[in-house]
Amino acid sequence: MPIMNNVYRQRAAEKPLVTLDDYRAAGGYTALPKALADVEPDDLQYVFMRSGLRGRGGAGFPMGKKASFLPKDSKKAKYVVCNADESEPGTFKDRDIMAFNPFQLLEGITLAGYAIGAERGYIYIRGEYEHQARVLDDAVRQARAAGLLGEGILKSTLNFDITVYRGAGAYICGEETALLESLEGKRGQPRLKPPFPAVAGLYQSPTLINNVETLAALPPIVENGADWYAALGPEKSPGSKVFSISGHVMRPGNYEIVLGETTLRELIFVHAGGLRPGRRVKAVWVGGSSVPVLGEGHLDTPLDYESIQAAGSALGSGGCIVMDDSGCIVRASLRLATFYRHESCGKCSPCREGTTWLEKLLMRMIAGEARMEDLEMMETLFGRISGKTLCPLAEGAVAPIKSALNMFRDDFVRVVENGSPRPEPMMAGA
Amino acid sequence: MTADEIRAYLEPRRHEFADPRSLVMPALKYAQTTRGHLSREDLDAVAEATGFTPSFVESVASFYDRLYTQPVGNRVVSVCITLSCMLRGSDEVWDHLCEKEGIDHHHGGTSADGRITIQEAQCLGYCDKAPCIQVDADETLGPFTPDSAAALVDELRAAPDPEEYWR
Amino acid sequence: MADYAPVDLTAENLVSFELNGEKVQAPAGTMLVDACHALGVEVPIFCYEPRIGPPVGACRMCLVEVEGMRGLQTACSTPVQPDMVVRTTSELATQGQESVLELLLANHPLDCPVCDKGGECPLQDRTFRFGPGKSRFHESKRHFLKPVELSSRIALDRERCISCFRCVRFSQEVAQDGQLTMQERGGRSEIATFSGDAYEARFTGNIIDVCPVGALTSIPYRFVARPWDVTNTPSVCGLCPVGCNTELTLREGVVRRVSGRDEPNYAVEEGWLCDVGRWAYDSADHTGRLHRAVVRDANGARETNMADALSAATLVLQRADGPVGILLGPAATVEEAAIALDLAGGALRGAVVARLGIPAGPLAPLRATRRAEMGDIDDAQTVIVVGGDPSLQQPVVELRLRKAALRRGARIVTVGSRRTGLADVAEHVDAAPGALHAAISDIAARIAASAEPVVLWDEAELAAEPAAADALATAIAANGAARQIELGQDPNGAGLRALGIPATGLRDALAAGRLGALITVHADPRSAPGRDAWDAALGDVPVVSVATHVDATTDRATVVLPSLTLWEQEGTLVSMTGRAQRVRRGADGPDGAAPGWEILIALGHYLGAPPAYRTPGAAFAAAAKAHPGLGGLTYDDMGTLGAPLPPPAADHLAGDAGESVAAGSAGLALVAVRDVHAGRAAQGSEALLAFHAPAAARVSAATAERARLTDGATARISSPHGEATLPVRVAPGLPDDAVFVALGTPGAAPESLLGPDRGPVRVELRP
Ligand SMILES: Cc1cc2nc3c(=O)[nH]c(=O)nc-3n(C[C@H](O)[C@H](O)[C@H](O)COP(=O)(O)O)c2cc1C
Ligand code: SF4
Ligand code: FES
Repeated sequence: MPIMNNVYRQRAAEKPLVTLDDYRAAGGYTALPKALADVEPDDLQYVFMRSGLRGRGGAGFPMGKKASFLPKDSKKAKYVVCNADESEPGTFKDRDIMAFNPFQLLEGITLAGYAIGAERGYIYIRGEYEHQARVLDDAVRQARAAGLLGEGILKSTLNFDITVYRGAGAYICGEETALLESLEGKRGQPRLKPPFPAVAGLYQSPTLINNVETLAALPPIVENGADWYAALGPEKSPGSKVFSISGHVMRPGNYEIVLGETTLRELIFVHAGGLRPGRRVKAVWVGGSSVPVLGEGHLDTPLDYESIQAAGSALGSGGCIVMDDSGCIVRASLRLATFYRHESCGKCSPCREGTTWLEKLLMRMIAGEARMEDLEMMETLFGRISGKTLCPLAEGAVAPIKSALNMFRDDFVRVVENGSPRPEPMMAGA
Repeated sequence: MTADEIRAYLEPRRHEFADPRSLVMPALKYAQTTRGHLSREDLDAVAEATGFTPSFVESVASFYDRLYTQPVGNRVVSVCITLSCMLRGSDEVWDHLCEKEGIDHHHGGTSADGRITIQEAQCLGYCDKAPCIQVDADETLGPFTPDSAAALVDELRAAPDPEEYWR
Repeated sequence: MADYAPVDLTAENLVSFELNGEKVQAPAGTMLVDACHALGVEVPIFCYEPRIGPPVGACRMCLVEVEGMRGLQTACSTPVQPDMVVRTTSELATQGQESVLELLLANHPLDCPVCDKGGECPLQDRTFRFGPGKSRFHESKRHFLKPVELSSRIALDRERCISCFRCVRFSQEVAQDGQLTMQERGGRSEIATFSGDAYEARFTGNIIDVCPVGALTSIPYRFVARPWDVTNTPSVCGLCPVGCNTELTLREGVVRRVSGRDEPNYAVEEGWLCDVGRWAYDSADHTGRLHRAVVRDANGARETNMADALSAATLVLQRADGPVGILLGPAATVEEAAIALDLAGGALRGAVVARLGIPAGPLAPLRATRRAEMGDIDDAQTVIVVGGDPSLQQPVVELRLRKAALRRGARIVTVGSRRTGLADVAEHVDAAPGALHAAISDIAARIAASAEPVVLWDEAELAAEPAAADALATAIAANGAARQIELGQDPNGAGLRALGIPATGLRDALAAGRLGALITVHADPRSAPGRDAWDAALGDVPVVSVATHVDATTDRATVVLPSLTLWEQEGTLVSMTGRAQRVRRGADGPDGAAPGWEILIALGHYLGAPPAYRTPGAAFAAAAKAHPGLGGLTYDDMGTLGAPLPPPAADHLAGDAGESVAAGSAGLALVAVRDVHAGRAAQGSEALLAFHAPAAARVSAATAERARLTDGATARISSPHGEATLPVRVAPGLPDDAVFVALGTPGAAPESLLGPDRGPVRVELRP
C-alpha cells in the first residue's frame, strides 16, 4: 500500500521503488551527491537541527540535537543504527517505507553517517519483516554496485556501508539500548543509562540511533533545505508524519499527513473511511499502544506532538488504533496487558512482576471473578510500577490501562460486576 | 547443522562486525534452517563456530520468540492476537484453527501429525490486514476469516516442505 | 555476601553532599549505596554486588530521591557528586522501595519456614524493614518443579528466585566459566545451564553466598540447621596457602557449612572460595579419622585413651637412644611449631626440628624481593605467572587474575610447560618442564618493560631451578616497582619458615642414625615426596605421631596421638603472601582427640618440663617474642582479618638447602603438582564426589605412544628415587616427554618418584 502525500510521496508513487533506476527516476539520490559536494559534516548536522525533524520512533526527540551529542573528538569508530524493529502494536509505517522505498532509507542513513563521521550503519529490522529485510538486502547490493555504498562513495572520500541485521521476535529490541545488546549478539535487555548510546552505544562506541521514518526524511530535507521542512506544520512539530491506522475503521492503512494540519477526526473519518454505519468512536490509542487512551471527546485534536500531549496522550509512533462502541475497554486493556507481559524482557523486577500481575488481575475481571477492591488495587499497582523500572516498556503498559480506568471507570465497574463476554468482532468484509 | 557449515555461512559477514558476538544471532537463525528448530547439537555447533559457550548461545536463543529451542511443526503458523487483530476477529480465527488442529486453546501447539504449529503472535505489523497470519517468516497475510485461515492451513499441509526453514 | 563495597571515608578526594538532611562526605565517584552504607544509612539492594562487577540496575530495590533528577534513581548506579541532595527515606523513596518489594514478593512462595535461607535471608530481612507490610497479591503464583539439582552440590529452587542476575553474573564475569545463564524471557526467565547440564566448575559454590534469597542452597547443608540454632565462627581455610577467610557454621559441635565471610578479606580471597575449600569439611570425618589414641608394641596395636598414650609416648621419648627429631607437616600451625621448638629447647633439649616441605635456601633471594598481597593484583597492568598452575594449586588466585584481565584489561602472561586454567585469558610463554631458565630472559625483559608488574612464581618449580630463581629475583629487584607473590605449596609453609624451621637436616640425621625417636606433627613422611628415602632413614626408629587421620606414618608409629583438624582447633596459619591469620575452633571433633597444640603442651608436662603457657594465644605470644620472623604480632593485631608478617630477610634460612640429586638427561621430565582437587580433603569429601578421580599419570598422546601405552593402561614409572605404578591418562595440551602427576592423592604413590628435597626428576615410563 503506497504511502500518500508529501515527503515520502515524492519517491513512492504508484509502484514500489525497489530498483535503483526507479528510485533515481523518482528523483532519488540527489541529496547525497549534493551533501558530499557542498556540505561539511558539521553543517549537515546543523541542517538536520534547523529542520526541526523530531524522532519518529516514539519519543519525538529532535534528530539533529541527538546527532550533536556524539563526541566529536572520539577516536572510536562511530555508528548509525536504524531502528527498524517496528513492533509497537498498531504501527506499520516503517514496514511500507522499507518495502516501497528502501533506497530513500539507505540514502538517509548514508547522509546521517556522513554527518557524524561513521563508516558503518546497521538496520536492525524485526525478524518478522523478513520480506522487507530481503528488499533492503537487495537495495544494499544495488547501491553498493553503483558506488553509493562502500569505499569512496560517489568518488568522494566517504567510506560507508550498511548491514541489514535481523531480529528474531522481541518487542523490547525496539528500545534503543536493548536493540544494541541484541545487535551485539546478546539477549535484548536494556542497559542502564547513562551512558547514553551517543557516547557509548554499539560496542561501547558513539552511536546515533534513529527510527526508519526519521532517517528516511533526511534526503528530502537535504534536497529542499531545512527551511522547507521546518515550514511544514507547526513550529515545534514540523514536517510530515505517517500514521498507521487500524482497528474498527473502514480503510485501515498508512496515511502521511503534515503535522498539525489534520485532526484525529479527519484521520479516522476522511482518510481511514470512518467506522461501520451506526458505530461511534469509543477509544483511540493514537500513538501506538503505549500511550494513554483518548475518547470521542478528543477527536478534534490536531495531530501534532504538542496538541496530542495537551489532550492527555502522546503522538508516539503514530500507530493509531481505533475501537468503536462495540468493543470492550476492559478486554482491550487485558489484551494490551498480555502484550506487555509477553514482551517484558524480565531484567527489572517491577516490569517483570508488575506486568504479570496486571494481566492476572484483568483476567480475573473479564472472567467476572474480581471484586470492587481490585479496582483500587489496580490503581495502586500502577503506582507500584510507574517510575520504578529500568526502561520505559512498563510505562507503556501502565499508560493505556491507567488512562482507560480513569476515562471508562463505569465500564470497569460493570465488568467487575458481570464479567465481559466476548463481543462480536468486525470481520473481514464487514 | 555442523559448526563448519555455520562458519562458512558467517565468513562473508564477519568483517561487518567489530565484535564477533554479533554473529551469534545470524548463526542461530541459519542453524535453525535445517530442522526448523535448534537442537542441542545445533546450539553446540553455533557455540563452536562463534566461540561462545553453549549456555550463552542457548540463553540468547531462548530470549527470542522466533528461535525455537523445542521442536515445532513443519510449518509454523503465527496468528496475531494483539489489539488491532483482536478487534477484527483474531480470537475467532485462533479458536477455529486450534479446534480444527486439535490444539490447546490456551497455549497453542503442534498438530498431532507434527505438520502444523499454531502459535499466538504479538503485533506482526500488519494491523491494516487484521486479523493477519504469518507462516514462518513469509510475508504476513490477511485479513482472514476463520474459514479462510483454515483453508490456508489445509494448503500448507498439502504443500511440500520448504527446503530451508526461515522462521 | 558482601553487599556493599568498602568506602574509605578518610580518603583525600572527599566531596560534600546532603543525605537525608545532613551534610556528609564521601569520596567522589563512590556509588551512593556504598557511601550511604559507610555513613550508616542503609539503602536496600538485591542485584548490586560490587565484587561481581559494575551495577546492572535490575532489581530496582535501591530507589532513592536525588534532587534535580526526575523520578527515582537507583542508588547502586548513581555516583556521589558534590552538593547533590539525596533522600533515601522520603515519602517518594519509601514508596519506591515498598513497591519493588511488594512486586518481588508477588511471585515469591513466602515459604520461609521451610527455606534454608530463613533467618539469614536478605529478602526476608528487607521485607521486614522496607516492605509494605502485607502483600495484596491474590493471583496464582508461578510454579516450578520443586528444587532441582543444579549440580551434585547446589540445589536450585526456581520459585524463590528473584532474577537478580547475581549468580549468572558470577558465572559469566567472575569465574568466567560461562555455564550459568538466564534463559527465556520476562516472567518466564530462569537461571539455567546448557540444556540442564550440571553446573560443574571450580568456584560454583560462591553463587550460594551471593544469592540474596533461598533459591540457591548447598545440598549438603539443606535442612541440616536453622540460623537460630547455629553459631558462625570466622576462620581460615587450611587446604592451600592462599589462606582464604571463611566462616564456619556450627551446630551441635559439628561444622555444617563453610562459606565466604559477610565481611570478606579484600587483601586475600575477597569473599570467594573454591569449591574444595567450601565443601571439603566433611572429609574431616571421612574414613580413616583417628578417634582414639593408638599404642603399638610387639603384640600389635591397641586403642587407648589420650592419657595412656601420652604416658606411652613419654616413655618412648625418654628411652630414645639419642636426640629426638620433630617433623612438622605442611599445615602444622604456628602454635604447634612454636611449642615444638620450645620442647626442643626444654623437655626435649637437643631435638632436631624440621618441616616437611621444600628447602628454603634456593628461594631466599626471591622471597626477599618486594612482596605484593593478593589485592594488589587488582591494579596491576601486567601479571606474570612463572610456573605452576594456580587454578589447581591456589585456586582463588585464578579469580583475581580473571578480574584483573576482564575488568582492568590487565595483561596476564603465563610461563611454563603447559596451558593453565587461565589459558583463555592469558598469553602463554612455553618452557619445557624443568626449563624455566630457558624462558627467564624473556620473563626478565617483560618485567623490565612493565610498569608495576606483579610476578607470581611457583615455589616447587623455582626451587627445582635455583639459577632461574636467582635470575627472577634479580629481574624483580631491577624494576623498582615490581612486586611478587609466591605461589606456595604448603598451607603454613611461610609460618614455619618465619619460625626459622628448615626443611632439611632431620632426615639426614635420621639416616645417619643420630636420632633416637621421631615426633611427627601433622606430617606423614612415609607418603611425602621422597617417601622411599624417608622410609630408609626412619628404619625402625620409634615414632610418636600427632595426626588427624590414619596414614602411612601412623600405620607404623609406636604411639599415635589423635589430633583435631583445622576445622576444629585454634591456631595461626601464615599465607603465601605472608599474612598471619587465625584459624578458629569450629567443630568439637572426636571425643578421643585433642588439639595438636594441647597434645604438645601435654607432652611437655609428661616429660617434666612444661612450657610456660597453657593456651594457643599464650603460645603465640611467647613465640612472637622469641622469633623476629613473627614481627611481634599478637592475636589482637591479627583480629579477624589477619596481619602481614615482616618480609623475610635475604639470608633467612639461606642454609636450608637440600641435597640435589642430578636429574640426568635421559627419560621424561616429571612434573608433580599439589592439586587441591586431587588431595585427601577433596578426594575424601562426599560433597565433592564430582571431583573424585583416581590418581593417574597424565601424558601427551605422543608420549604415551612412544612408551607403547594407551589411555587407561597401567604404567610402571621409575626414577632415581623410587618407583610407582599408575594408570595413564592421555590428556590434551601437555608437552611431549613429560609425565604429570598430582601429589597427595590417597592410595597413590607418585611421591616415591621424587627426592625428599624436591629438585628436578626424570623418569622412565614402561607398560
Ligand atoms: C519498549 C520500547 C519499544 C520501542 N520500539 C521502537 C521501535 O520499534 N522502533 C523505533 O523506532 N523506536 C522504538 N522505541 C524508541 C527507541 O527507544 C528510540 O527512542 C528510537 O529508536 C529513537 O529514534 P527516533 O529518535 O528517530 O525516534 C521503543 C522504545 C521503547 C521503550
Ligand atoms: S538464583 Fe538467586 S542469585 Fe540467581 S538470579 Fe535468582 S535470586 Fe538472583
Ligand atoms: S541494587 Fe540497585 S537496582 Fe538492584
